[in-house]
Amino acid sequence: MPEVLRSIFSVDFVYSALRLTTPVLFAALGSLVADRAGVTNIGLEGIMLFSALTGVLGSAYSGSLFVGMLCGLVTGLFIALIMAYFSLQMKADIILTGVAMNLVATGGTVFILYSICGDKSVSTSLSSLVFPTIEIPLIRDIPVLGDILSGHNLLTYLSLVAVVVVWFFLEKSKPGLRIRSVGENAHAAESVGIHVRRVRYGALLLSGALASFGGMFLSMGMLTYFSKNMTAGRGYIALAAQALGNGSAIGTFFASLVFGCAEALSVSLQGVGLPPQFVQMVPYVATILGLVLYAALRKNTKKRVRKHKRRKRGSP
Amino acid sequence: MKKVLAILMAACLILLVFAGCGTDDANTDPSNAGTNGDPVKIVLLINGTLGDKSFFDSAKNGMDLIKEKYGDQVETQTVEMSYDATKWTPALIEFSEDADTDIIISGTWQMVDRVIEVAPDYPDKKYIVYDAEVDYTSGDYSNVYSITYKQNEASFLAGAASALVSKTNVFGFVGGMDNVTINDFLVGLIAGAQYIKPEMRFATAYIGNFDDAVKAKEITLSQIKNQNADVVYGCAGQAGLGSIEAAAEQGVYALGGDSDQAMSFKGVDDAKAQCIITSILKRVDQSLLRAVTASMEGTLQWGTTGSFGLADESVGLAENEYYEAILTEEQRAQIDEIEQKIISGEIEVPTALGRDTQEVKAYIDAAS
Repeated sequence: MPEVLRSIFSVDFVYSALRLTTPVLFAALGSLVADRAGVTNIGLEGIMLFSALTGVLGSAYSGSLFVGMLCGLVTGLFIALIMAYFSLQMKADIILTGVAMNLVATGGTVFILYSICGDKSVSTSLSSLVFPTIEIPLIRDIPVLGDILSGHNLLTYLSLVAVVVVWFFLEKSKPGLRIRSVGENAHAAESVGIHVRRVRYGALLLSGALASFGGMFLSMGMLTYFSKNMTAGRGYIALAAQALGNGSAIGTFFASLVFGCAEALSVSLQGVGLPPQFVQMVPYVATILGLVLYAALRKNTKKRVRKHKRRKRGSP
Repeated sequence: MKKVLAILMAACLILLVFAGCGTDDANTDPSNAGTNGDPVKIVLLINGTLGDKSFFDSAKNGMDLIKEKYGDQVETQTVEMSYDATKWTPALIEFSEDADTDIIISGTWQMVDRVIEVAPDYPDKKYIVYDAEVDYTSGDYSNVYSITYKQNEASFLAGAASALVSKTNVFGFVGGMDNVTINDFLVGLIAGAQYIKPEMRFATAYIGNFDDAVKAKEITLSQIKNQNADVVYGCAGQAGLGSIEAAAEQGVYALGGDSDQAMSFKGVDDAKAQCIITSILKRVDQSLLRAVTASMEGTLQWGTTGSFGLADESVGLAENEYYEAILTEEQRAQIDEIEQKIISGEIEVPTALGRDTQEVKAYIDAAS
């Protein structure tokens, strides 16, 4: 047991938790932007999977990381656009559209992979480029902190930057205000001349772009190849993280971090003698507990609001 | 415009539905099976898709070997039933109904239950299941032949090779799932490694699926960094590649599985190829050829299980240029010697197949 504690309270643990947080965080931020505009983007998993593949293909065939990144990004935007078209223009149910996208991605990525590389499970026959890891000059030299914060993948840092950017965008910028107002009350927004559909299009596209980085991190950061179903449910975990984050970018970041830690924990707990099935449950149990907690908190808020309203009505 | 689009889409859908039926019909149409001269018709039902470069492709290769060997005497057909499990039993019944079919081959434990459900209804048909065993005590399955692999024998050799190159004497094992087949690999590895060095320890972990390569990599990294493993094996299908990546990154050795993974990285990613000592191979093709050959010669014991191992060349190690570079000539001779001892029965390799789960677990825990 002390060995486990040592592995949990180690630099490696925190480092690996941050690394495991990255894909979830990107997708959760994507989910957040869409959610604030009043559309639930269930298709994150599919977007991540498609972008993971096209990022690898793009970088392997062009020999340029930037082109690979563009490919992944454009794919994310494109899929979000398709989802937006079906749900906003054709009025299909957004949840069903998202689920459909995820199903398309499971088979579609394998189909594309097979047509291009003749392989149905992994893209190891292509040499994909990988986002570089970055040593931060000054921070690197701080004893413990340096080992935790420095030497991460570029995308890990980008995800942290994205938290701040998304926060600023949603809370402080004009388009962010529009997104929030559309999400709060679409009719009210429409009555003051906001083009609801256009705002939602924008939010979904942004959501797709963010999720695409989460996908690319898996195939061009964590690993150096695409492997079928490599997202392994991270897109769904991200939805939970966003819900748990209570609609704010900072909250979403902390919720994602909780899931990253839970996953890192499930790695560290292996080999302690606990049944492996139990250890594998950890991240998902954390998800359920998180959601229950969230629902309970929300119920409380609602109660308070209702009480507040009643009091208001009571006093003329 | 919208109406036209809707009609077009509906037409497409209907077309697709019929197209699906079409291929099905073509597959089962008895008239396209040769009736003159009566070749033995052998059907391979794949409960997945081809192109996995290991298990199923190897089975398909077995069909090609059979065709090559017997030419016009046999008629072979390979059907990909896809990963949709609801299609498997109907396909099995369809081919059992087909008067021309003589032998139906299918693999993995998922197909076993379906085969024993269908087989008793078609006593004149023969069934071969590979990589899983029918419980012959539970009913009359005299027309079913099971093939199991002694993956523990090949693992024993791989474990011995790992022990020869290991400096820290810690082996990192990442399994896809905590099941009998995966543990059979592990038990073989442990036995082999401890045959060379009794002090070899095993860090064992399971991912919980065969997809999450990211997690495989993360677990392997943790085994290398926290538990000092310097030989690792991701026994988890495609997710296992994550372990190889972790090994290449950290500069330790890895084992490959299913297919010759070092050679698949050659020229694409030499760093990975160079860290793979060897790959544990399961030669489904050889075992199918052997079974069908025995059947053609009338010596196959239907209603029993054939267990294929090193002696039948149905399992083995990939002995490629990297294997030769990592192990010295002396060490390779040592491995060859062990192989001979296993074949001759001098070394008895423990297995997880058919053993009590608790007992296997105790064995694995004892090595940790």
